[in-house]
Amino acid sequence: MYSTIMSGGFCGIDAYLVQVEVDISTGLPGLSMVGYLSGEVREARERVLVALKNVGYQVPPMKMTVNLAPANVKKEGTAYDLPIAVGILESLGRLKACQTAKTLFVGELGLDGEVKGVKGVLPIVRMAAKSGMECCIVPKANALEGAVAGGVTVRGVEHFRQLSDFLTAGEEEKERILPAVKVDTKRYLASADLAADGDFQEVLGQEAAKRAAQIAAAGFHNLLLVGPPGSGKSMIAKRIPSILPPLSLEEGLEITSILSVAGKLPEDCPMVRTRPFQSPHHTASQAALCGGTSLLRPGILSLAHRGVLFLDELPEFPRSVLDSLRQPLEDRKIHLSRAHGTVTYPADCMLVCAMNLCPCGYYPDRNRCTCTENEVHKYQSRVSGPILDRIDLCVEVLPMNIAKLGAASGESSASLRLKVMRARQMQEERFASFPYRFNADIPASDMDRHCPLQEGERRLMEQAFETMGLSARAYHRTLKVARTIADLAGEERISEEHLMEALCYRISDKA
Amino acid sequence: MEKKYAYWLCNVPGVGDKTIMRLLGRFGSAQAVYEADEGKCKDLLSPRQAQSLRTARKAWDLEGEYQKLAKQGISFTSRHCGDYPKRLDDIPDPPYALFWKGALPKDEVLSVAVVGARDCSEYGKYVAQSLGEAFAQSGIQVVSGMARGIDGISQQAALKAGGTSFAVLGCGVDICYPARNRPLYDALLEQGGILSPYLPGTPPAQSLFPPRNRIVSALADLVIVVEARQKSGTLITVDAALEQGKEVYAVPGRLTDRLSDGCNRLIRQGAGVLLSPQSLIEDLVGLFPYKRALTPPKGAQGLAGQAQPLSPLEEGVLKALDVTSRSAQEVRGLLKDPPDYPSLQRALMKLCLLGLAGQSAPGYYYRLLP
Repeated sequence: MYSTIMSGGFCGIDAYLVQVEVDISTGLPGLSMVGYLSGEVREARERVLVALKNVGYQVPPMKMTVNLAPANVKKEGTAYDLPIAVGILESLGRLKACQTAKTLFVGELGLDGEVKGVKGVLPIVRMAAKSGMECCIVPKANALEGAVAGGVTVRGVEHFRQLSDFLTAGEEEKERILPAVKVDTKRYLASADLAADGDFQEVLGQEAAKRAAQIAAAGFHNLLLVGPPGSGKSMIAKRIPSILPPLSLEEGLEITSILSVAGKLPEDCPMVRTRPFQSPHHTASQAALCGGTSLLRPGILSLAHRGVLFLDELPEFPRSVLDSLRQPLEDRKIHLSRAHGTVTYPADCMLVCAMNLCPCGYYPDRNRCTCTENEVHKYQSRVSGPILDRIDLCVEVLPMNIAKLGAASGESSASLRLKVMRARQMQEERFASFPYRFNADIPASDMDRHCPLQEGERRLMEQAFETMGLSARAYHRTLKVARTIADLAGEERISEEHLMEALCYRISDKA
Repeated sequence: MEKKYAYWLCNVPGVGDKTIMRLLGRFGSAQAVYEADEGKCKDLLSPRQAQSLRTARKAWDLEGEYQKLAKQGISFTSRHCGDYPKRLDDIPDPPYALFWKGALPKDEVLSVAVVGARDCSEYGKYVAQSLGEAFAQSGIQVVSGMARGIDGISQQAALKAGGTSFAVLGCGVDICYPARNRPLYDALLEQGGILSPYLPGTPPAQSLFPPRNRIVSALADLVIVVEARQKSGTLITVDAALEQGKEVYAVPGRLTDRLSDGCNRLIRQGAGVLLSPQSLIEDLVGLFPYKRALTPPKGAQGLAGQAQPLSPLEEGVLKALDVTSRSAQEVRGLLKDPPDYPSLQRALMKLCLLGLAGQSAPGYYYRLLP
């Protein structure tokens, strides 16, 4: 007897349908599996047969063949245990084809028949919904995650016995055995506490850094925080996600998909509600940051998608690791190519970096800093130039004793966020017919169109060019930042004061 | 004539200043040493030195080598030669040889050494700059070591204001060390000179710098220490200056500034206190009435910029700035009615654009010379 069961696999965050074909015929007893399978898929043979026995099914000594189609795509993971088990039952005549029609199965089997969680459920369920499936049977651990996809009934199963009961039950019984899992995504998103990981209100003083963070958030500019040790650079960086606009449903699904394929989504969390904040240690390898290894898993850069990637102690990162971030920061996605395939992960994150100005950290306070000018210079030039070129704003974080001077009670993240959203609105309208969305992405060729300067302002910039020795690159960055400052003020015209403020945040070329 | 022989003598490997002085004490001149019988100087030399002298006498091309030196644009003198600076002759241990490019400091003209820390503060920069300018405008020669920090800054300022300045190097005069000071090196050749007691081509080495410090102080009538930590190489210069009987002045600093510890200590030990460049110049003229100043350079001008209209806020911010770096936050704390942050930054940036203020690190500003 032959049967076909639908299942799914994923490549990157894109999923595809997999047909699990099972045939049982007379011949030498045994179970053989084909379809370009990796080791863990092959091991399904043992898990499935033992699990079926332990649940109480007699598997007769016959020749069984399992094929996972399309057979030219490499299958990985343990999600095929469940569809194979169901397929065997159907081939044995224990289930009818109509009972498994239009149903997608994923899940790993324990030897006692327990169904365990797997990776990538969200992208698979989303794809199932698009390709006209009616029901998805997923492990209970992944049921919430699958349910946010919408457009298809999702049921979570804990044990294989439950599943066989469900498949053989009548229509009215079904809902009782495996109730459909539902998540009200809109309400779930709206209920997010965006400032759960900290509110800008808690940062005393540090006006410059807070202002720069707001500008960076509004124009999606990359930001560099400099200051002595213990001044609160990480504290500020950590609060930046709280002033970014709330996630849209589409963004939330994207982020959750990445976490899902990385296997990092918590069980009780249907989807990500707050913007990610990733802060890798400076010993992180290139593969950890960009993704890869032989399994082509997403890296920290992709886990920070739509959120903040924070690199503390920037000069301590090896140059090769930083340089590998250059292209993804530009393209806002990363292509990974390894021996057995190519994957593209989204990597649209805001880069926030922090560094000291010298090895001891206290420069320019000459009373505490004993580094020589050479050491300072050497330390600062450890950061690769091309990375600095991608950072639009640089701002100082003051030592705590100074920062407290006249520290006003800060503005809350919520009110800062409102201003950021207003500025984002202006950008959305401005860039409606362009391929980019933020001021930070304006290419040099479109500078005159989006950041026009009047005579007076143009002269001012020329003067700044001379007295401060700005490079052409720094000139453009200053203009982009001024554009965002004007947007924050709700003005279409870039005026002198916007430029002046933008100049304050420039990165001096020697650093 | 004598110089050819003197140049030969200081090129003999293994024979240093002390041996040379012993030889000269017996023979009177370098030429006499060259022509002297080997047996006559046996008791003054170690066997190895004697061998070295013998070889050098045979292998050395007196005329050719001396011309090679001249071709490089390097002048040479030695003690007992007419153009050997008198100030150097007066110290306890003068170098036998002196090489220079450009000019030598004039003996009859007032000369001041400005020395200090290499990693100086904005305050030190400010003082070094104003000293350099003031001396240039009064026609006083500035002597220093062309090092990073105070040395180079004072010399740069003097040259920029049209004055003369001389650098004594711890390497050959044909080597620019530190390499970063190349523009200063070139300017010194135009408007002053580069001096060294070491043979051309000698690379810089740690042990060579303390001896050159004594030449810096020797060439000056007065030594000013601008900034020095408690343990600072600058204090070697001060010791040498005291040994040579030179006047030492120190720039007082705040108690909290570690970079001023050395200076304040000197003052406690009896060094003169620098009140202002002008008052120092008056002291100088009083101390050395027989010396004259150069004619002040034409068109010498304080770097007074054109008056720029400033807004009340900008005026206030300018007043709140200091010559040492202050963060914008501190500046705001000093203002009567603190403005909001963006307008404060705008004001600071405007002052930077007008050349009235500078930025030392992101967010840290200081006042520039008016």
